[in-house]
Amino acid sequence: MGLSSVASNSEGMQLCIFDLRRGQNEGQELDKILFFHPADLPFSTQLSVIGLSEGLITFTRIFSPDAACEVIEAERHSHVFFEAEPDIWMVVIVEKNKEAEAIWRVDALRKVLKEVHSLFLMFHGSIRSLLEKEPAAGSVRSQLYIFIMDYLSDFHSSKKLQLPSFRDSLKERGTVQMLTVGREAAIEVQSLVRVVESCTGSPSCHSLLLFQDLLVSTTLSPDDTINLFTYTVLRLTPHALSTGLSSWSYLRKGSTASAAVTGPPVGSGTSLSEPFHGSHGTSAGDDHSHAMRPLQHNRWSKGKDGFLITDIWQAEPGSLVSVTPSIWLQQTEEKMYLCAYQHKSLTLIFLIPVSSIINGEQGILAVKQLVLENASLKILKVEEKLSKGWGGENAYHVSGYRYLLVDGDRNLSRASPPGKVTTLTKDSLLALSKLREEVDIEKSRTRWDNGGHEKDLEICTRARNNAWVISQVTRGKELYMVLENANETLLYASDAVQKFSNRYCNGAFSLD
Amino acid sequence: MSGLASSSHPVVGMSGSSGLSHVYIQQPPLRCSIPGSRGLFYDDGNKIILSPANDQVYSWKVVPFDPVVAPISDSISDGPILAIRFSLDGKLIAIQRSNHEIQFQHRETGETFSQTCKPESEIILGFFWTDCPLCDIIFVKTSGLDLFAYNSESKTLHLVETRKLNVSWYVYTHESRLVLLASGMQCKAFTGLQLSSVGIIKLPKFEMAMAKTEANNKPVLAAEDVYIVTIYGRIYCLQVDRVAMLLHSYRFYRDAVVQQGSLPIYSSKVAISVVDNVLLVHQVDAKVVILYDIFLDSRAPISAPLPLLLRGFPRSSSLGARSSFKDVESSEAASYPSDHEATMYGDDWTFLVPDLICDVSSKLLWKIHLDLEAIAASSSEVSSVLDFLQRRKLEAYKAKHLCLAMARTAILERRPVTMVAKAIDVLVTSFSNSFKTGYFKGTKAEKAQASDAAYATGVNASRSDTTGKSVEREYVAGLDRESFERSTFIETDSDEDGNTGHVKPNTNGSSSKLLLGAETRRTGGQTLHSDNVGASNNILRSTLQPEAQVTSPAISPDEMYTFVFAPVEEEMAGDPSYLVAVIVEFLRSCNLERIKVRPNIYALTAQLLARNERYAELGLFIINKILEPSKEVALQLLESGRHNRQTRKLGLDMLRQLSLHNEYVVFLVQDGYYLEALRYMKKHKVTTVRPSMFLEAAFASSDSQQLAAVLRFFSDNNPGFRSSPDHNTYYHLLNEMNMAAA
Repeated sequence: MGLSSVASNSEGMQLCIFDLRRGQNEGQELDKILFFHPADLPFSTQLSVIGLSEGLITFTRIFSPDAACEVIEAERHSHVFFEAEPDIWMVVIVEKNKEAEAIWRVDALRKVLKEVHSLFLMFHGSIRSLLEKEPAAGSVRSQLYIFIMDYLSDFHSSKKLQLPSFRDSLKERGTVQMLTVGREAAIEVQSLVRVVESCTGSPSCHSLLLFQDLLVSTTLSPDDTINLFTYTVLRLTPHALSTGLSSWSYLRKGSTASAAVTGPPVGSGTSLSEPFHGSHGTSAGDDHSHAMRPLQHNRWSKGKDGFLITDIWQAEPGSLVSVTPSIWLQQTEEKMYLCAYQHKSLTLIFLIPVSSIINGEQGILAVKQLVLENASLKILKVEEKLSKGWGGENAYHVSGYRYLLVDGDRNLSRASPPGKVTTLTKDSLLALSKLREEVDIEKSRTRWDNGGHEKDLEICTRARNNAWVISQVTRGKELYMVLENANETLLYASDAVQKFSNRYCNGAFSLD
Repeated sequence: MSGLASSSHPVVGMSGSSGLSHVYIQQPPLRCSIPGSRGLFYDDGNKIILSPANDQVYSWKVVPFDPVVAPISDSISDGPILAIRFSLDGKLIAIQRSNHEIQFQHRETGETFSQTCKPESEIILGFFWTDCPLCDIIFVKTSGLDLFAYNSESKTLHLVETRKLNVSWYVYTHESRLVLLASGMQCKAFTGLQLSSVGIIKLPKFEMAMAKTEANNKPVLAAEDVYIVTIYGRIYCLQVDRVAMLLHSYRFYRDAVVQQGSLPIYSSKVAISVVDNVLLVHQVDAKVVILYDIFLDSRAPISAPLPLLLRGFPRSSSLGARSSFKDVESSEAASYPSDHEATMYGDDWTFLVPDLICDVSSKLLWKIHLDLEAIAASSSEVSSVLDFLQRRKLEAYKAKHLCLAMARTAILERRPVTMVAKAIDVLVTSFSNSFKTGYFKGTKAEKAQASDAAYATGVNASRSDTTGKSVEREYVAGLDRESFERSTFIETDSDEDGNTGHVKPNTNGSSSKLLLGAETRRTGGQTLHSDNVGASNNILRSTLQPEAQVTSPAISPDEMYTFVFAPVEEEMAGDPSYLVAVIVEFLRSCNLERIKVRPNIYALTAQLLARNERYAELGLFIINKILEPSKEVALQLLESGRHNRQTRKLGLDMLRQLSLHNEYVVFLVQDGYYLEALRYMKKHKVTTVRPSMFLEAAFASSDSQQLAAVLRFFSDNNPGFRSSPDHNTYYHLLNEMNMAAA
């Protein structure tokens, strides 16, 4: 059976993207496949994986047309489904293996799929629109391949792909981490944001301001904020630029490993096409060599004027003239120029609608000049203010607690610093992962049952090592907590939660 | 106008009616003509004009200036009159009869006595009354000063002190209490004494600068060329250098006289006036006047030299009628009988300290006014004009209105945010300063302080009472031009504040440089700390005070809302993000000055952001407390959140954090969270919400479980609920629902 050969794969992980609208005729099944990792699997194996997925999707749609299959739990594998765009599906298959710490939370894996797709949208636009432009799908495939492989390179640790496992239970992908600022600094920040906005001269321009790897201000819609924030933390912040420095981040623990991208495919553009498209008849080799690789490492650097520069975007395919990066906004579907300015720990990103700049690069240069003239003093001031108030990488550590706080309404999360989370025992983390899985299921059930009405939820469990593992969901906010030292009573544990809630969450979790 | 304005200052601010003039005198003048008058004398100590005629002396009070004031007459004995001054308490009249004799007369009894000097060796140059504790009257003689005290018992003068030095001539103003004694060949060596109410302070000797002529003739400085002026409570001496065509200025400190730079002059004859702390340099030959605001280091004139205007009778409306007054003026000129009255800068004009013009031949007295509208219209630099207007005290009401109008216009014209931000900074800083010194709201401060102290400046309000009083005293002193406060040298070197009465905490520390300031402060017990003084004053009013009560052009945050942001918001169409940017700048300024802002501005900001669907930013504003929590803001969020669930939740959270239990519960129920609301009620013991509201809502949800839960809750927690009609009604309804379900 096809699945068994999948299992024998060295990395134990498969990731594929396929389009249900393609390859409906016999003999053209390969057309469906837009992406498959590992690429060197025989097509028959690839097709059997996709065939199984497609079958399940078709079957479950009979009962639930709006939300088809989400996951298959087999004895030794989990298949996690994500419908990225209508009829375009992403599926990740992971091996279950207790010894190898291969214990997964489905929702965490799905968030990986969602993240890479959202980032792809931001740089390339939707897969469907690309397919419509190019029915042969040659360059779509190569774009997807390069993009996803660049993305996955961040998950490499010691020559192995390490997807988020139970050890990452106190993290939430697809959320934004914010810096807590005082009122005075917040006003200065807003003053800066407004001045930058007025410099660009277009009402639909936007900005994003980060301090270190934390968001300070955004004028983007929530979804666009997440995407741009994610990308910025991955590739643009001072810490992302200087990969050599010791690092910390709520998002990635493995960013330092990114320099050591290994694995066969990512080395050079042309070699990418070999294993994948050999038999498709579409000679896409030429396209690969200059496919845009916004997620490739070490392609951004800080220019003399403080603006970040990159050669990722090129005027013509294959030309050496690089141009100002541009991205697509999800909410308005507008194409925006991306300008990033950096001063010390402060990263200011502003987006200008492509349509509002008439004379291309010259126009952008003029806007940058204007921003420098009007805002550089304010930037200095804001950086100074934020630096003064900055408590370091353990600023949000609360001693005695290991926590994750998610504000679903604002897509924010805050967690104990990674360095502190690593002190938790495996038992605690496993229990937490399991608890989160339960809450995920409960949440999605409420979502389908209850429309907009949010349900409150509170679970306290005791792990094998006597640690309290607690979850509380109240009106869109979620709190996960591990108390390893609070080994007395349930009362003690719930008291600890109340204290935390009153002190750090404005009492959001102590309503009754 | 002479060629001066067009040649040296090509068309600065000559647009529109502002090209006319920035300074005017107003019809009618005060007529001081008395048959048989023997000239006019100005007694600046009492601020009266004196006119002796026959055996009477008539006196007109000139402050406050009232053109129809009736003179008071006193009979005096006949004889020559060189000078005449009333004592400061008004009981004595002193008349200089000759170079050697001054005669004193009791106003009540008419008794007289005389004081003379040695005729062979000295000449009396003049005399003045003083409120210095040592003496009452001072004779200035060629041989020095004689200080006399008046003994009301024996009705005689006795000599207290004599200061020997050669005096060629002297200058004195009561305003400054400063006498400058000129000596030397060129009369350019000066000795200065300040006769203030705490004693006599001797200034270091200094020399004035004089340029030499080509022929190496040494010019001699005349008394007419030296002016003592008081600007923003600081004392300056201005000296005309006819050779260099410069007006040198010197500033007096306790232990030094420092030359402050020079202003160019364009006329061989100049005159100086000070109107509302603005220095007016009349270029008499050119018949134009140049205005300077000597506040900061800048020596640049406020605008181009323009003629002095003679205005017709007062216009009925005080604002916005500029266009009409050209007509008034011309018709006045035609209809007014006496043509010579309009002889501007005639030879008979005498300029009196600080802001009066006396036409000696026609016996008319004019008061000089600033035309704030014209000055405001003459520059496009909004922030500097606002800065200027904010320093005006005489026509505070008009200045305030002009400032508000300018702020509105700048926003409506969508001037660059940085520029508007600068203008707002000026207004907020000025308010903050006047708030600290207690100018704002003036004497009314204390009445309202109890109720509104909470809004003041985020400062400990409990200490308001004691500080409040001292502030008020200072305020009163500051306005009274006769008061001692004005006449002292105030150290404002590092002080960017324009208010005369303003004391910075550090002034006490650096008192060595003060001539008098420090002592005064200490005796007044005023060691003000700018931060806590504010607490005592009330900054809140919903409407602009009537004209008479406005003593400072400072604009409170509340007035900014009522007269700038609210009207602008109504008028401004389209994208509100510009207005949001302006408000952010306003909040920034207020925060820097630690001024509390009322919730209505916050609510407006929330509304603007929501209207633009900038919910993410609105969230940031709330979370970072840029918009401080208040019920108004919470309700606005709930209102704006009807199309955005997250925003609505922010509003709910804010209600909860403000412990507005009742509102919180009501809105929870509105959103369908009955059980959460009930639990919350139980926890916080909210009893104000009617059970029927829950019951109605639960029934409307047609979920029998919900209704049962609500019924059960009230049955258990509200004693007496079981017997209420609500209980019965809904109990039946519940039974029906269950029946139907079964």
